[in-house]
This record gives sequence, structure tokens and C-alpha cells, in this order.
Amino acid sequence: MIRSACLGAVFVAACAPAAAGTLSAIVTDAGGAPVADAVIYAVALGARPAVAPRPAIMDQVNKEYFPLVVPVQVGAAVTFPNKDNIRHQVYSFSPAKVFEMKLYAGTPAKPVVFDKPGAVVLGCNIHDWMVGYIYVVDTPYFAKTGKAGSARLEALPPGDYQVRVWHPYMKAEAALLTLNLAEGATGDASFRLELSAPQKVPPAEK
Amino acid sequence: MVLRSLQTRIIVFFVLLLCILQGMALFLMSAANERIAKNQIAQELVVGERVFRRLLEQNSQQLAQAASVLAADFAFREAIATRDEGTIASVLGNHGRRINANVVMLADLDKKLLADSLHATATQSTFPFPTLIESAQQHGRASDTVLMDGRPYQLVVVPVLAPIPIAWVAMGFVIDDSVAQDLQALSGLQVSFLSRSGNGSWTVHASTLPSASRGELAAHLGVPGATLTLPLAGEDYETRRSILHERGDVQITAVLQRALKEGLAPFTRLRDTLIALALASIALSILGSVLIARSIAGPINRLAGVARKVRDGDYSQKAESGRSDEIGDFADSFNYMLEGIFERESKILRLAYEDTLTGLPNRAMFIDRLEQAIQASRRSGEPVVVMMMDLNRFKPINDSLGHPVGDQVLQEVARRLRDSLRESETVARFGGDEFAVLLPVGGMQRATSAVNQIERALASPILTQGQPIDLGASIGIAVFPSYAEDSTTLIRHADIAMYVAKRNSASFTAYEPDFEQGKPSQLSLLGELRSAVEEDQLTLYYQPKVDLRSGASGSVEALVRWVHPKRGFVSPIDFIPFAEQTGYIKAVTRWVLERALRQCGEWHMRGLDVKISINMSARDLNAELPVMVSELTARFRIPLPLVCLEITESAVMEDPARALETLERLHQLGIRLSIDDFGTGHSSLAYIRKLPVKEMKIDRSFVRNMVADKDDAVIVRSTIELGHNMGLKVVAEGVEDHAALMLLTKLGCDEAQGYFIAKPLPPEEYEAWLRRRQEIGDKLTESGFISDRRP
Repeated sequence: MIRSACLGAVFVAACAPAAAGTLSAIVTDAGGAPVADAVIYAVALGARPAVAPRPAIMDQVNKEYFPLVVPVQVGAAVTFPNKDNIRHQVYSFSPAKVFEMKLYAGTPAKPVVFDKPGAVVLGCNIHDWMVGYIYVVDTPYFAKTGKAGSARLEALPPGDYQVRVWHPYMKAEAALLTLNLAEGATGDASFRLELSAPQKVPPAEK
Repeated sequence: MVLRSLQTRIIVFFVLLLCILQGMALFLMSAANERIAKNQIAQELVVGERVFRRLLEQNSQQLAQAASVLAADFAFREAIATRDEGTIASVLGNHGRRINANVVMLADLDKKLLADSLHATATQSTFPFPTLIESAQQHGRASDTVLMDGRPYQLVVVPVLAPIPIAWVAMGFVIDDSVAQDLQALSGLQVSFLSRSGNGSWTVHASTLPSASRGELAAHLGVPGATLTLPLAGEDYETRRSILHERGDVQITAVLQRALKEGLAPFTRLRDTLIALALASIALSILGSVLIARSIAGPINRLAGVARKVRDGDYSQKAESGRSDEIGDFADSFNYMLEGIFERESKILRLAYEDTLTGLPNRAMFIDRLEQAIQASRRSGEPVVVMMMDLNRFKPINDSLGHPVGDQVLQEVARRLRDSLRESETVARFGGDEFAVLLPVGGMQRATSAVNQIERALASPILTQGQPIDLGASIGIAVFPSYAEDSTTLIRHADIAMYVAKRNSASFTAYEPDFEQGKPSQLSLLGELRSAVEEDQLTLYYQPKVDLRSGASGSVEALVRWVHPKRGFVSPIDFIPFAEQTGYIKAVTRWVLERALRQCGEWHMRGLDVKISINMSARDLNAELPVMVSELTARFRIPLPLVCLEITESAVMEDPARALETLERLHQLGIRLSIDDFGTGHSSLAYIRKLPVKEMKIDRSFVRNMVADKDDAVIVRSTIELGHNMGLKVVAEGVEDHAALMLLTKLGCDEAQGYFIAKPLPPEEYEAWLRRRQEIGDKLTESGFISDRRP
């Protein structure tokens, strides 16, 4: 269901108390087309239950980062397995996490822990076209849109949330949504993003 | 000089023609070449601009490439990522140096200047060329020519990728003379970079031009795009502008130029070659013209030289011939002309110096040779002999046998004379039967032998028409230098000697001065008489006759007078007989006749009819006389009865038959005839009766003495009676006193003349005398006779 503009109304159906709620979000671009790889995350405005961050994997396949965007919770450890038969280097000069992994093959023994929220742009010093994004959020509730432009956040305790969206190509910060999620209820959120063309160096080889 | 100028004219014409043609060709070619060169340069500039643009672009791409590589350097990115100002500044400096950038700047994604190698304190300001970053955002990189701190830079902007853009790096390369020189090396054009702000004046930042030309370039710069010609430091440049940057106020332009001289260089070389060729061809044509002109003028000059020689009488030279051209033809014609002139001149000379009848030299040539001989004699002392020779009895032969026979005789005499003399001696015919001989050597001795030879040669009779003719000769001899200083005198002496010989019937006589001393008047006068006639020393006087019955005077006797320039008055008695003897009387008679008849004609025209009596000599009585008289009377329009010819009795008797014939002819013409000196000759009355005469004159010798001598008076009376009996008018001459006049009147004489009546008078005085008589009246009284003797 598509709502108009950024300030689309959020209809929240009330569910049974103590039962976890669900947030269903959809992201479209200016033309209304579904936008994949958008990170939808909800930040609880009330008490934040301590949830241990889950580790994540950013693969390097066929001289590309895969997937393009990996959303993680603050403190998550991300491993960068190299699936190619050549070595890769991984670096980031992003303020959220500056790191560098020397040339390696296979799966490095030590994952990288992302301890600050924000976007971390990954590059490979020997393959300039390789770009990957680790988006670090300070909430356990996040999801990434698929090809249909939709994402689903589950097991959200009832309460007030700020719902945000992030996409590597978005031109401006999108307006956040604040919603109250009742127990067992399902909330809907929709975002419309203005995207710029991906700034990518064309690959020299593949 | 004319020929010289002919030569000059040929040379000048051809050389001028060639110069004009070559000059025009060069001028046209130069004009065309300049146009072609300008077009070519303009084309070169258009192409050059494209090349220049392309070079500039490649340059910027290379710079951008280099900048991109730098920006992608991990350490660089790492340093940028630190956001530490000091680190950033130093990495910018360090990496900028790697690619020799003159300025390196870093701007963040918001176009805020993070670092500037030129201006250390310029941080926090905005990147000065934001449009470049915008362009780089779209295209990955951007470049432009910009002005910073008054210097032009080629500025490239590339992103710092990590791997997405995190900042913008700008690297600038100053455009200086070396850049311009690099571009010049590649484009082949003069390259200059200039800028201006607004419509301000241009500033030259970099240039390949010499520094002197830069200021002028800034001053002269015109509109963009068009090719124009700028004079810079005295040299023309074809110029094209190419705008590099035009944003806001600032304009940066590149100026591409090519020196016209360089474009013209090939043409200049071609022109120089052509000029050299032209000069060579002019030199060759001068040479050719000179040769041709000489080949014309030279022979003509030589022909002129030959012509001058011919003018001076030298026929020895001929015009050079043998050429087959027009000048050769001219020379041949010239030579034919020379031969013709030479032949004709020889002929004329022959005619002038040769006697045509006998082929002997004539008088003129004889005198020439005589002069030469005298000249030679003056040097050598060898005497020169001149002999004058006159044939005896030639005149009767000529008269009786006719001129053709006379001519044959003369030719034969000439041949014999020539044969009897030496080659070196000259025999000439002076005319008539007069010959002259010149003996240049041998003197009197040779003269004597020559005379003998001549006598022998003439001894045998000459046969003409089967008739033998005997001829004798009288020869007079004169020797130079005896008695004579010149040719004229020498000839005259020989002439005189010849007459002496003739008179003495001697075969020859040598000249002696005595000949002239004894009777000087006669002998020397002979030669002078000729000139007297020619020079008008002779005059005619008229002695009046008076009718004794009426006293009227209507007739005169013409008497010749000779007033010699030295001798004064010479009496006719002194020269007439001598003239008769030599035959020169004919010329004298002819002169007298003409003068007298002219006078008579004049009087007649004025109404004064005076009967004129003219004395004739025996020699005049030939067939020519009637012809001459009728011709003269006709010419002067005289009535024939006014003319009376007086012939002496002795003259008639010399050749009675011929005289009778002549007188008959004259009588038939109507001329009156008179017998002069009647009584002195020995004529028979019977013969005289046959003559057609109307008058007789009693000789003065009888009249003069008749008053005193009774015998003479008897003769006079008898003669008067005889004359009257024969029907003749009787005239007495020599009347010198009144008594004689009275006696004559008493005796019945018809007319009288004499000093008592009037002496011979010039025409004007005769007229005056006549007038005086008419005033008095023509009376025959004792005292009434008019006479100039009367007191």
C-alpha cells in the first residue's frame, strides 16, 4: 500500500499485550519504483532491551562486495570472507569505522567489530570499483529491503519507535517516522527516497 | 654617331622589353605568392588551432590522469582521511611535486577549501572554481584554464575516492613560456597566452615571441576567430585567437601566430631564383643585343668608312662582302655602285682631259702635265720644252673637202705625231689644227730631233678618199725656264714663236724675246686678244657719216676699239691684220657683229634708225656669215636695210668665187654691201661689177691728200665718177678738213666721214652729237658743219 509523500500516515493495529509486534516497511524511489538495499531501522524511544548484536558477513565474490549493504547493530562483528581466488584488501576511511585489512585470501580469523553507528564505506585498495556498505545502527531492529522494496522488522516489543531509512545512494536524509507499536500489532511504514546515481568507478576487469 | 645610336637603340629596346616583362612576371608572381602564402598561413592557423586545442586537451587529460592516479594513492587517501590540516598540507605538497603540479588544492564535498598550497591561510574559504567541481561530479574529472594570482594555470579537478568521493583535489600547472614552447614545438606556431579582465587591456603571460613583440601583441590583439595580420617588432604575423576561458569577467585567450616571412620563405627562395634567372637572361640579352647590334653597326660603320674614302676620291677599298644576309647584299650593291661610279668618273675624266676626235690629251690635260713637268724641272733643273704646232694649208682643205675629210686628216696627223714622239712626251690637240707637244726632258737638243721626226712624219702625203694631201707644219718652240716662269707664259711664247715661223715660212722657230720687243703690240697681243674678247676689253665706237647733199647724218661706221688694261688704247690697225692672219678675226667679227647689231636694235627700238656699217674681213666671207647675220638681225629685230657690211677689195680678191657666193647670199637677205678701201686692191672692174654691192668707199689715203695732190684729186674724181657710173653710192672716208669736204661736195661724192665731221664716238656721245646737229639743222655750209674739232 502506497502512501503519499514522506509523511505517510502510519496505521498501527493493536495486538495482544506482551506479544511482539511487526513493522512492515516499503521503500520506493521518486518514480515510485521499489528500492532495494535500503536499511529500515526502528529505534525504541522507551526502554531499550539489551539485545546482543548478531555477527554479520560481508562476502567478496567475483571482485564485488556482496551484498552491497550489510546492516549491523553497534558492536556487531563482521567477517569479510574472500570467496575469490585472488587476494583482496578491505579498507574504510569512514568516520564510523576506520580500518584496513591487509591483503588476504579466504576468511580472516578475526572479524571486524563495528562499535559506532553510521555508514562505513568499504573499499578494496587493489580493486577501485569495489564498494560495499556496512550500515551500523544502534538498535537491534533493522531490516534491508529486497528487490520488491519491502522489509519486515519483527519481534518488536510494543512501544514508541522512531523508524528511519538509509540507502547508500540517497541524496538527503529521509524524514524519520515515529510510531507506536501495540503488542502483537503490525505497523506499516513507507518511504520515498530521492536517489542519485551510484558513483562507481567502472571495473577494470572481472 | 647615328650608327652608335642604332646599336644603342637595339640594345636599349631589347633590354627594356626584357626588364619590363621580367618585372611584370615577378610582380604578378610576388602578389600571387603573397596571397597564396597568406591563405596557406590562414589555413595552417586553422589547422594549428585544432592541433593546439587537441594538445591542450590531451595535456589536461594527462594532467587529470596523473592527478587521478595521485588521488587514488592509498597513502594520500589515508592522509586526507585523517582530516589533519598539517598532514593534508604536507601530503598535498608531496604528491603535487610527484607530478610537478604548481598548485594543489583540496576541497571537501561541500566545495569548502580544506587546503591550498598557494595560500596557507586560505582554509575555510570556498573553492574558487566551484563549477569545475560540478563538472567533475558529472564527468569524473574536470579541467580548465584559470587565472590565479594573475597567472594562468591549467587546473584539473579530480575526486578523492574512498572508494566513493570523499574530497576534491585540484592540481594546477602554470602556463609559462616553456609550456608555450612545447606547444610551439608540436603545433609549429608561435603561441602566446593572454588574459584580460572585462574590456581592460590584455596581459601577456606566456609566449614564444621575443619579448620585444609581446607588448605590441597585447596592444594589437583583435577580434577572436578571424585571421589577421599583426606587425610585431617589424615583422608581419598572421594571427588567430583561440579563447580558452571566458567566465564572468575574465577572459583567457591563446594567440597562435605564424610569421608571414616563414610562410613566404619558399616563395622568397623561388623569387630569388627567378630574379637571378631574370638578371642572367637580361645579361645574356644585353650580350646578344650587343653582338647583333655590332654585327649590323660594325659593317655599316666600315661601309661608311669606305664611302668616306670614295668621297675623297680613293676607289682602292671595297666594302667587305661574303656575308649571306642583308648586310652582305648591301655591301655587294655598294661595291657595284663603287664600280659604276669609278667607271663613270673615269669616263668623265677622259672626256675632260681628252680630245674626242683624236684621242690625244686636250689643252687642260696638257697644262696639267706641263705644270707637273715644270714642278719636276724646278727640282731637277732639267729644261722643259713646249712646242706649238699649226698645220699649213689645213683651212683650205677643211673648207674645200669638208669637215669629215678634215677630221680624218687631223686624226692621221695625231697618230703620226704620237708615233714620232716618245712615250714620256705628250702631244695634245688644242683645237682646230693646233697641236702642242711637251718634252719633259732633253731640252733644245731633243726639241730639234723631235721637230725632225715630226717633219718626217708629216712629209708623206695623207691619203683620204684616194686623194693625197700634202701638209706642212709651223712649229714654235719655248723652253722652261728660259724667258718663262709659268706654263701660261711658256705656251704663249711657243705660240708666238709658231707665228713667227709661219710668217717666215720656217718649219720651226724657237722663241726669242726680240719677237715681242720688235713689234710688241702685234705678237704679244695675239694671246691677249683672246682674253680681251672674253673679258669685254673691246668696245665699239661709231663714226658718223654725213650726206653731202642734204647734210643729214643717218649712218655710222662701227669701229672696234681695244682698251688694254696695261697698254691702254690699241689701234685696230695694230691688231686687226694680225687677227686676220691668225684666223682669230672670226671671233672678233662675231663679237663686233653682235655688239653693233644690238646697238642698232636698241636705237631702232627707240625710233632712231641709224644705218650701221660693219667691216668684214676676208676670212669672214664664208657660208656662216649670212646665217649669223640673219640670226642676229632677227634676234635684235632690226630691219635688214639698216645693216651694211663693208668688205675690202683685197678680201674679195683672196677667194673671189667664195666671196661672190657669200655676198650673193647676203644680198638676197637684203643686207647692203659696201666695197671698202676702194682703189688699193688690184681687182678688175669687171669682177667688181658682178658683186651685188650698193656702195663703194674711197680709201682715206686718197682723200687725205687730194686737196694738196692733184693726182689724188684726179683719182678721187675718177673713182666718184666710176662709182656713179656703176650705180653705186660713193662714200669718202678720212675727211680731215673743210677744204676736202668742200671738194668732195663739188665732185659729187654722196657721203663723207672723217675727223673733220666727227671722230668715232661711243653710242651716247653719238646720240648727243646727233641732237646737236639737229638743233642747228643739217646744213652743209662752209662753216655750218658740225665737228667736234670746231672751236
